[in-house]
Amino acid sequence: MILTFENLSSNMAAARRLKRVAISQPGFLTLNPKVTPTDLVSSRRKRVNKNKKKNWNKYSDVQDVEEFLEDLVNLKFCFLCEEAAEPVKGKKRKGKSSRPLRIDLILQHDSLVAPPKDVLAYQKPNAKKLRRTAERAEKLAANGVVPRSKKRLLNRTVVDRMSKKTETEANNNPERDFYDIWGQETKDLGEPWYLQQTRKKLVKRPEKLNEKPSVLPAVEVIAPGGSYNPDFFSHQELLREAHEVELKKKKVEDKLERQLAYNKADTATEETILREQVEGLVEESEEEEEKDAPKEDGEEVAVGAIAVADKKTERQRKREKAEKMKEQQRLTERRQTEQQQQLFQLRSIKTSIKQQEETTQIRQKRRKAKEEAQKAQPRRLGKLKFQPQDMEVQLSDELAGSLRQLKPEGSVLMDRFKSLQKRNLIEPRERAKFKRRLKVKYVEKRAFKEIS
Amino acid sequence: MGGLQKKKFERGSATNYITRNRARKKLQLSLPDFRRLCILKGIYPHEPKHKKKVNKGSTAPRTFYLLKDIRFLLHEPIVGKFREYKIFVRKLKKAYGKTEWSAVERLRENKPTYKLDHIIKERYPTFIDALRDIDDALCMCFLFSTFARTGKCHVQTIQLCRRLTVEWMNYVIASRSLRKVFLSIKGIYYQAEVMGQLITWVVPYQFSHDHPVDVDYRVMATFTELYTTLLGFVSFRLYSSLNLVYPPKLDSNGESEPKEESEDDYAMNSESYLEKLSALSASLARVVSSADEEEAQLDQFPSEGEDMEKMEAREKELKQQEAQKKLFEGLKFYLNREVPRESLAFVIRCFGGQVSWDKSVCIGSTYDVTDETITHQIIDRPSVGKQYINRYYIQPQWLYDCVNAKILLPVEDYFLGVTLPPHLSPFVEEKEGDYVPPEKLKMMALQRGEKPGNEQEEDEEEEEEEEGEQEEEEEQEEDDNGDEEDDEEEVAEEKNLKKMEEQRSQDKSLHVKVTPGKLKVENKARLEQEEKAEEKRLAIMMMKKKEKYLYDKIMFGKKRKVREANKLAAKRKAHDDSEKAKKKKARK
Repeated sequence: MILTFENLSSNMAAARRLKRVAISQPGFLTLNPKVTPTDLVSSRRKRVNKNKKKNWNKYSDVQDVEEFLEDLVNLKFCFLCEEAAEPVKGKKRKGKSSRPLRIDLILQHDSLVAPPKDVLAYQKPNAKKLRRTAERAEKLAANGVVPRSKKRLLNRTVVDRMSKKTETEANNNPERDFYDIWGQETKDLGEPWYLQQTRKKLVKRPEKLNEKPSVLPAVEVIAPGGSYNPDFFSHQELLREAHEVELKKKKVEDKLERQLAYNKADTATEETILREQVEGLVEESEEEEEKDAPKEDGEEVAVGAIAVADKKTERQRKREKAEKMKEQQRLTERRQTEQQQQLFQLRSIKTSIKQQEETTQIRQKRRKAKEEAQKAQPRRLGKLKFQPQDMEVQLSDELAGSLRQLKPEGSVLMDRFKSLQKRNLIEPRERAKFKRRLKVKYVEKRAFKEIS
Repeated sequence: MGGLQKKKFERGSATNYITRNRARKKLQLSLPDFRRLCILKGIYPHEPKHKKKVNKGSTAPRTFYLLKDIRFLLHEPIVGKFREYKIFVRKLKKAYGKTEWSAVERLRENKPTYKLDHIIKERYPTFIDALRDIDDALCMCFLFSTFARTGKCHVQTIQLCRRLTVEWMNYVIASRSLRKVFLSIKGIYYQAEVMGQLITWVVPYQFSHDHPVDVDYRVMATFTELYTTLLGFVSFRLYSSLNLVYPPKLDSNGESEPKEESEDDYAMNSESYLEKLSALSASLARVVSSADEEEAQLDQFPSEGEDMEKMEAREKELKQQEAQKKLFEGLKFYLNREVPRESLAFVIRCFGGQVSWDKSVCIGSTYDVTDETITHQIIDRPSVGKQYINRYYIQPQWLYDCVNAKILLPVEDYFLGVTLPPHLSPFVEEKEGDYVPPEKLKMMALQRGEKPGNEQEEDEEEEEEEEGEQEEEEEQEEDDNGDEEDDEEEVAEEKNLKKMEEQRSQDKSLHVKVTPGKLKVENKARLEQEEKAEEKRLAIMMMKKKEKYLYDKIMFGKKRKVREANKLAAKRKAHDDSEKAKKKKARK
């Protein structure tokens, strides 16, 4: 099928080609006089919509019009040239088109009477009205009356370019102004339903979020020993506390050291190294014999452990069963008597119950107290545990005699930061380590190299 | 049987918590942004009770948040702003990379910013809520305002903090609400009572910063961002409660007007206003020009018995407070250049004193050293060149101790070159039976209105005076121009001695007058006491065996405490004696 179609199409093409060849012959006349045969060869006739202006411009033949216009321009140019430059007359004559055609001259307007003026071209519509309004406006302006349109222009609010800036004022602008945030009632912007649906209404904050995560106060005042000029005893007290903290730290350190300690005797000496190297080369027959002896004992023990249990006889089984039954009976009887006896032990039972309750109460109290104490403790909120700050302390000889000589100890910034951590507001964490992705290569510059 | 098999970790605590990373992903924020959001909104990590259950079987340490909290965060409009900011940074980077400077400028102009007003309103629904949480805000602002204006944080933040702290100090001065001051080695602790709330804050000493490395500055800056907003709104409210103009303006018709001459030398025009405010020497302008303030009087309710007693106690306390508020009224102070100006000026002005300093120290000085009406000159150096007769030269600790003692302490212990008595912490409250340092006992006696008139103390004082003289002699050897000062010291001492004698004589006359009246009172009291003691004894006798055991235990504990306190006191005395002996030896 496809093949046949191709054949057909090729046949048609051949026929068309023939036709074009015929047209291009010089003797052959075309219907359209403007279309030259060469044109037809280069482009196929196109069907064009004539209802588009674009297409008019593109496909309509404007050549003759253009030619005419060109002629006109040339004419004018020639006249001008003739007037300006007489000596180059000879040259001008070369172009035939420089002289106006006779037909043009005939068609020229040769009457000496001027054509009548077109009155309409000079008339303005509504001229009288306009003139009158202008006059009135002038009069009013002289009196100082501003027309309404101008007034409107003047009254128009000036679009403030700066207003946008104030709107997006930074949060930490030192000149920012404050207002009574608690005093003013929020303005009703519309229906609550509308506000909610358009997400203009803020979601209500749950009450639980307003609870503080710790019972500790925001500012913990330093112990009285931390005064710049402390009382002797309170200072001693503070020193003792600091000492205890240090002791604890030391203890931890010592423990770590102890755990990491190894036997000094185990270190490799020359002797041991030598022995290791010669191991197996020297005969050690005696030791081997010694080793063999205990092995045999072990085997014997193992054999003795595996003892096959003998099967019980019928009689034995029956007797065991009877014994079991008897025992159970005995126990039930005993339980019964005990229960009967409990009737007479009511008082002691009561006391025992009371005791139990008391102990549970004590335990409850203790648990509660522990919980309370826990509330003041920092929680474990992340990878790291909270590390309390180093205690600020000045030794007795560091104490300043007067305020002028005081050397401040510790930092308030650190204190604040630790306080935030202690109150569970932020999780304790380490500073992120800076990791270099690419290796740095250090190269000495040549100029530098020469010196060093 | 039947039904679906229950899967693990699909109900219970495992579904109530969310890890930090998952929360972050849910909000589509980077970790720093997430952290900032949590701080601003007041959402803190939570430690679950059963970590293994929550962590889906793993015991790895993780940070958890409550899922409901994170859901609440989803509605926050600021989240959108954070995202916008992220994009802004990206665009800016791109423009920089392409060196399109006009684009950079345009982007800079339209930098997205956000406000925290709605968060403040949400977190602190009432003014009192905000006031309760102001401690942190104050500490942070005071801390940041002392930072150097280097790259550690935004300069604007520092300026804003400075402005807010100055406003706060001015408010405290205007309302006279300062209660306690404590000079510690770390910084200065202040406590004020504002609208019935005790507010404590700590101020670092000036120029004492070496920036610690292990502090997360970004977190601190975020907290400060929130707290500056909070403090601003609180101070607006406080100012309006006192009828003061906000932002504060200096009272133009005040009697103590700062001098105008040296302004230009000191600060730029744009800054001089804040500087003048921060000088704390002038009072603030009021909205309604100050009519006489009405003394707040306690409402009287008809009441009986214990209530009456309580009422009386409260009234007494109130009176004491009123007296404390006017502690330095009528006194005129002059600060030497070596003392911490801001702190001292703040304290003096809080209790109604007048204060000035050298012109070159700071703007806003109101009078010169040469002013004859100055009563006290605060000085912290071993000697002064020229002394005036009609003023005390005292060390700065006197002011702070006076504030804590709520009375004007005797000046003698704080004179120039005298070893100062210890500066006790006003924040400790001793319980019954605790050890109380003798200095505090002395102060308490003074508060009660008793004069230290024991013979022993007199001896001590005399000795101290001798010591003082000795020291002065030593100084004379050292300094060539010590003569004048010595004379003046002597004059001052004579004056003091005279005063003390007068007081003593007055005391004596008073004693003569009062004794007959007092005797009766004592009798009554004694009778009452005896009655009480009798009742107590009877009550003890009536006790059950168990209760008695408990009672004995408590009493034993109390006695032990007293014994320990006595031991400490004896130790202290021994220490003092040995010190004295040493001194004497050294003298000889």
